[in-house]
Amino acid sequence: MASNVVMPKLSDTMESGVILKWVKKEGDAVEAGDILAEVSTDKADMEMEAYVSGVLRKILIPEGKTAKVGEVLAIIGEEGEEISAPLAIAPPAEPPQARKEPAKAPQGAAGARKEVVESPQQEAEVGPIKASPLARKIAAEKGIDLSRIQGSGPGGRIIEKDLEGALAAKPAAKAPPAVAQVPAGPGEYREEDMSLMRKTIARRMTESKTTVPHFYLAMEIDMEAAVHIRKSLNDLHPEAKVSFNDLIVRAVALALRKHPRVNASFRGEKIRWNEAIDVGVAVALEDGLITPIIRRCDTKNLTEIATEMQSLAEKARRKRLRPEEYQGGTFTISNLGMYGVENFSAIINPPEGAVLAVGAILQKPAVWEGEVVARHRMKVTLSCDHRVVDGASGALFLQELKKLLENPVSLLL
Amino acid sequence: MHREAVRVDLGLRDYEEVLDLQERLVRERFAGSIPDLLLTVEHPHTYTLGRAAKEEDLLLSPQELDRRGIRTFHIARGGQLTYHGPGQIVGYPILDLREFGQDVHRYLRALEDVLIRTVGSFGIKGERIAGRTGVWVGGAKIAAIGVGIRRWITFHGFALNVAPDLSYFHGIIPCGIAGCPVTSMSLALGRPIGSAEVLPVLGRCFADTFGMEMRIEPNDWLCRFAGIPEEASLAAR
Repeated sequence: MASNVVMPKLSDTMESGVILKWVKKEGDAVEAGDILAEVSTDKADMEMEAYVSGVLRKILIPEGKTAKVGEVLAIIGEEGEEISAPLAIAPPAEPPQARKEPAKAPQGAAGARKEVVESPQQEAEVGPIKASPLARKIAAEKGIDLSRIQGSGPGGRIIEKDLEGALAAKPAAKAPPAVAQVPAGPGEYREEDMSLMRKTIARRMTESKTTVPHFYLAMEIDMEAAVHIRKSLNDLHPEAKVSFNDLIVRAVALALRKHPRVNASFRGEKIRWNEAIDVGVAVALEDGLITPIIRRCDTKNLTEIATEMQSLAEKARRKRLRPEEYQGGTFTISNLGMYGVENFSAIINPPEGAVLAVGAILQKPAVWEGEVVARHRMKVTLSCDHRVVDGASGALFLQELKKLLENPVSLLL
Repeated sequence: MHREAVRVDLGLRDYEEVLDLQERLVRERFAGSIPDLLLTVEHPHTYTLGRAAKEEDLLLSPQELDRRGIRTFHIARGGQLTYHGPGQIVGYPILDLREFGQDVHRYLRALEDVLIRTVGSFGIKGERIAGRTGVWVGGAKIAAIGVGIRRWITFHGFALNVAPDLSYFHGIIPCGIAGCPVTSMSLALGRPIGSAEVLPVLGRCFADTFGMEMRIEPNDWLCRFAGIPEEASLAAR
């Protein structure tokens, strides 16, 4: 059955539109969704789609002509179908007296939002400067910054006389280069809206640092054995690419299993003892950081941890992490060793009970079996939520971590 | 809760190149693979002729155009003749209007709002003139608007004269209105002003008007997120 193509109503105030172009010609086959024509109203052009399939049998409004909203523009039917008795013109959607002046419909898409522009701060000082045309001309020629001149004309308007002081004050001054004529603002800076990620970091870190009673435990760990075992591992299985961080993740998981208090969360009236050991590892991004989580860390061996970490870090950098891949951890590791940071303390990622800050592995003199020798050493700092973790329980966890990393064969089990 | 949107400033780019990019982005936006976008750009000296433009509106001979290094483009949109050039911020919003009331006129009025707010932040009183889409200051046009819509996704957009060389407008009959006076923010303010000063304000006014959270992203975001292949991304010129 033949159907009418009518001028679409593209806005509440639209009364008519112009056919800019027929994309389909009479006799062309048309699929629903195909672009039939381009129509224009005011300064907007819209591509018009077909809603039915068939053949474009007849074009009633040629290119360049105007049609009222609802007016039949063309007929889509089947090949050979009788269309000679069409097709009353649909009534226009609005009576003509309903015309609305566009200028009286100032609401943007935000509807009834406030109309007053909140002047951004930086504009406060560069607002309109009242000055006579002559004063402006002189100021432009002599390079005088009008924003620094006190006007004596009506309403503080700057007039020629007001410039005399400025001219006299610097008689020798040549007109400065054009840049100097820009009224001095608050200096150059770039301002941008915070990204969602920055906002999240800001909100969560503020919440943590202001509501969670942090305390910090630092410890130095000898990494000589870990350096050797990592080298042996990667020589034997270069494809595994085990990093120091993987060793630390594995050690942390085992230490958490032994000291579940450090893996617990403060939940108001209750302490939640997390059975799962889900360790988040902070990954730095251009504008912030994110902590993808290695789930059930204690049940995974080093190679599994290494592979998973590489894939998560890559996803994180491409901002392709799914929420379940970075939300709901039980403990966090933040490692700034690769930047040469020797030690630092991290902010707890609520509702977790602790976070481990890991520094660089540096060769330095250490007392080892009674001798001063060069050893690979690493400093770690545990930040604890004192509502859940006490000094002694945090210390026991660190002791265990130190033992595991200094005897790294246990990490291979 | 505000809608997430992204603004990317492309710097100085050929008209053609950005037209091509818009085509891709409209498809990506329709598919939902990118959020609402505001691209900002400056073009080299360019005249564009819409479908309604008449050759005689172009007052310069091809030789003269060549001599001055001005390129001309015939484009598949309505509207007349437009000048683009350095000192003019051109904005190409790629928005899904299905989320903004599916109303073409409301969209045009919203763009005018953005521009009026932007110049207003600098103390310039921008106005509408009924029946003449765009933003006007004391009867002279400071910003032109011309949009395209495909499956309710917008492209093309607006051009705000920050401080262009207005003599280039003398080579055309702009918007098909003979003797249509043109102005710029610099002229209206009586002081030099650069796009860098205006862009952040424009971005904020845009986000405010459309109720968006506007994130600023660098150029390469387009290839990282929009699935735009690297070679099509806009390598620095």
